[in-house]
Amino acid sequence: MNASFLLFSLLNTSFVLLVSPFFMSLIKKVKAYAQGRKGPRLLQSYFDLRKLMQKEVVYSPNSSWIMRITPYLNLAVLLLATLFVPIVFIPEASGGVGNIIVFLYLLAIERFFTALCGLDAGSTFGGMGSSRLMSLSAVVEPTMIIAFAALAYVLKTVNFHEMFAITAGSTIPESPTLTLISISLFIIIIVETGRLPVDNPATHLELTMINEAMILEQSGKNLALIELAHAVKQTILMAVLINILAPWGLATELTFTGLVVSCLYFLVKASLLAGLIGLFESSLAKMRLFRLPGFYMMAFFFSALTILMEVFT
Amino acid sequence: MFLLEAFVYGAVIALIFGTVLPFLYRNKKARKASFGLSLISSILLLVFAGIVLYTGKEPAFQAFRFLPGLDFTLAADRLSAGFILLIVAVVPGVSIYSIEYVEHAKSEAGKDLQTALTNLFILSMLMVVLAGNMVGFLVFWEIMSLSSLLLVLHDYSSEENKKAGFFYFVMTSLSTAFLFLGFISLFRLTGSAEFGQLDYPTNVLTLPFLCLFIGFGIKAGIVPFHKWLPYAHPAAPSSISALMSGVMLKVAIYGFLRFLLSVSAPELWWGILVLIAGSLSAVLGVIYALKESDIKRLLAYSSIENIGIILIGIGLYLIFKVEGLESLSLLSLLGACFHAFNHALFKSLLFLCSGSVVHATGTRNIEAFGGLVKRMPHTAALFLIGSVSIAALPPTNGFVSELLLFQAYFYSSALPDPLLKVLLITTLSVFALTSALAAALFVKLFGITFLALPRTKCAKEATEVSKLMLLGEAVPAALCILSGLFSSRLLILLGFDLGIPDMLPLGLILVGASGLVWLAVNNSGTSKSPRISKETWGCGILAQHPTMEYTSAGFSEPLVVIFKKIYRTEISSTRVYADTKESIFKSGTARIHLIKFFEEHLYLPAACAVSGISSQVSKMQNGKLDTYVLYVFIAVLTLMIFTRYFA
Repeated sequence: MNASFLLFSLLNTSFVLLVSPFFMSLIKKVKAYAQGRKGPRLLQSYFDLRKLMQKEVVYSPNSSWIMRITPYLNLAVLLLATLFVPIVFIPEASGGVGNIIVFLYLLAIERFFTALCGLDAGSTFGGMGSSRLMSLSAVVEPTMIIAFAALAYVLKTVNFHEMFAITAGSTIPESPTLTLISISLFIIIIVETGRLPVDNPATHLELTMINEAMILEQSGKNLALIELAHAVKQTILMAVLINILAPWGLATELTFTGLVVSCLYFLVKASLLAGLIGLFESSLAKMRLFRLPGFYMMAFFFSALTILMEVFT
Repeated sequence: MFLLEAFVYGAVIALIFGTVLPFLYRNKKARKASFGLSLISSILLLVFAGIVLYTGKEPAFQAFRFLPGLDFTLAADRLSAGFILLIVAVVPGVSIYSIEYVEHAKSEAGKDLQTALTNLFILSMLMVVLAGNMVGFLVFWEIMSLSSLLLVLHDYSSEENKKAGFFYFVMTSLSTAFLFLGFISLFRLTGSAEFGQLDYPTNVLTLPFLCLFIGFGIKAGIVPFHKWLPYAHPAAPSSISALMSGVMLKVAIYGFLRFLLSVSAPELWWGILVLIAGSLSAVLGVIYALKESDIKRLLAYSSIENIGIILIGIGLYLIFKVEGLESLSLLSLLGACFHAFNHALFKSLLFLCSGSVVHATGTRNIEAFGGLVKRMPHTAALFLIGSVSIAALPPTNGFVSELLLFQAYFYSSALPDPLLKVLLITTLSVFALTSALAAALFVKLFGITFLALPRTKCAKEATEVSKLMLLGEAVPAALCILSGLFSSRLLILLGFDLGIPDMLPLGLILVGASGLVWLAVNNSGTSKSPRISKETWGCGILAQHPTMEYTSAGFSEPLVVIFKKIYRTEISSTRVYADTKESIFKSGTARIHLIKFFEEHLYLPAACAVSGISSQVSKMQNGKLDTYVLYVFIAVLTLMIFTRYFA
């Protein structure tokens, strides 16, 4: 761990923490426009988080220490995961940081503990959410692994930092097959962040929800931490897609102008992607739970197709 | 060299004393001493295995002679030292745990027997791994099978356990029969009973390979020979389940690896066969486990899954070796071995914890549990460590071994054959599915068992188990975390620099980041808010009731629906109507039948065929000596003619 990596850790993490709530509001805004409403302010998520931070935490007497540690653990896991996805600049590869399999399983930690939290308070909704989350994430797992394996096949490395260094080094996408992987990655963002048609983030109706059901018993600053962790997850997943498909402007070494350019470019690109996600959500209805495996198959198909094209050419 | 032998002899003598002692004195003190001896033996073996693994020395020594020409030799190399390390990792926890646990057995004699057999069982597994030739291997293999059979039958009064014991006995005999066949055909080939390098064309090795694969496969519990596991484990005491699942299955893996590593040029289809069998075992094991609500049976199915993962590693090793990709084959082989080691740790931890839970509540049905985290907080914490490891979450050891296998898969683009790549992609997605289903399984197991409100009276009245039992569980739990954190350092120490991510900094960052987040949230001026306690929201019902909670069956329902083709549930119903237009329902019956595919379509026909043949054969027995002499005479004559003209 050298000084440059330390600086990277600080900058990358704080940048992600800072901008993540913005994209949450932005997607809400886009959805509101699509529905003909005005929507919340672009800074509304920040206000919400501040308000939640000041509220008291309500614990159910049935709940245990699982409920108490999960919010902290989840945010910590995602902060660790941000080190895997360089946004401000690409540091020299250091140890295991950047390994895509570790990255995927860091997301699994967050899922595992959130699902336990859902069962902790003994509420019916929480159990339902956990059950659905774990089932659907199990079904989507092959898709995610194959998509990342396809990345590894095309770019010949299993490290995000090296991958991004390759994509950022070339002006056009390294391989046309990367475009195909991007479709899978987009679907993975939708699934992992619990958006339509998989889950509806805007509802508290028991029939439609997954993620919201699990965090129903969370309150106050714990809820704020969980919401923030969710926002961070969305940002880093978007960053993966952006750095693979459109890595323009990503600095490969540490300079001041490089940093500023990287950040600005990322803000523009991520805003566009967030807008796209908002439009995508607005154009679809919630799918029936048991039709979702079919939706995942689509993503699976695109990533498997990528690998097959790589294999046979 | 002499010193090294002394460690082994010391351990063996300690274990023999441990076996005899409970019978000599027949009191609690002797049982305690007996487990103390197994603890001492594992420390001696730890030193031995450590030295062999680190220095790469290969000590071989003659122990005794059965018959002229049939020496029983002991030998150790790095492979066997690795598996001794695996035994040593499990035994201390089980020994400490058993000191108290064995006292819960019904009768005095039962306690003594269980103590003695546990030591014998450990000894036999150790000797199988140390055996230098096939004779010793088979002799101790049988002792291992029989001592574990007696332990499975410890509570022989119940009908269910009798059936389990019988099932286990049949399967394990079948396994030994195949091993005999395999070893005899190897013996015919090489003319010696030693395990040596096999430089033969692979077509003559096909028969030994298939026999040994089936023989070891039955013992390791790969699909479709897996059915004895979910029967035997619930019947056996939990400490024995921990040993059986943690170590005995791995001894079978050891035997299989011992054979495969001695073959200089394996064939591609071997690797493909092992890979496919492994993938099938892995995914079917976890899918069956999801539907299970008996805690020990669930863990047994999960063992089938993990054996599948180990076989995936072995299959990949063979494929990469045939294709000449040395570094990838080493990566997969280490992944398989490390997963065997890790599974020994976390599965023994989980079985020991489940033993505590079963002891505290008096039932194995997880639908009856709930809320145990408040009543058994330490067991819950240890169980969580086991669940996190088996669900392969970083930075625990379970993750590292799966990481090795995933890395091997991800680099497989180096394979020249496109069709092989397609096979690998397919099995990779199955492997990913398995891993994610295992996470779902252990969220269910931990959540339903320990969280929310207790569902029954027995769960409500459960109390924490004794400190000694907790200590026994804490040993593998600590090893799970340590072997995860120090995994890459340990592998480098042993001379395998694979360039895998170092878990230690990741773990430290994770702990540090959690601490930072906690400090940031709780020390800022805005968060001086009180914590209050309010009832869980129950849609207007004020008092929370356990019937409102999710159940085990409810939790796995979505997956059961998604995988309904695999479960093959048959729902039949008959209805009687009160009117002719069939609109007023009067009475009816409905039945849900879970088709046990392997039992009904594989085991039952085989068993029927065998009993059919034996009933035919039994007609030849009339109990008269002269008839039997005639049979012997005919047999000898036939043999003589056969050897003269055909052989």
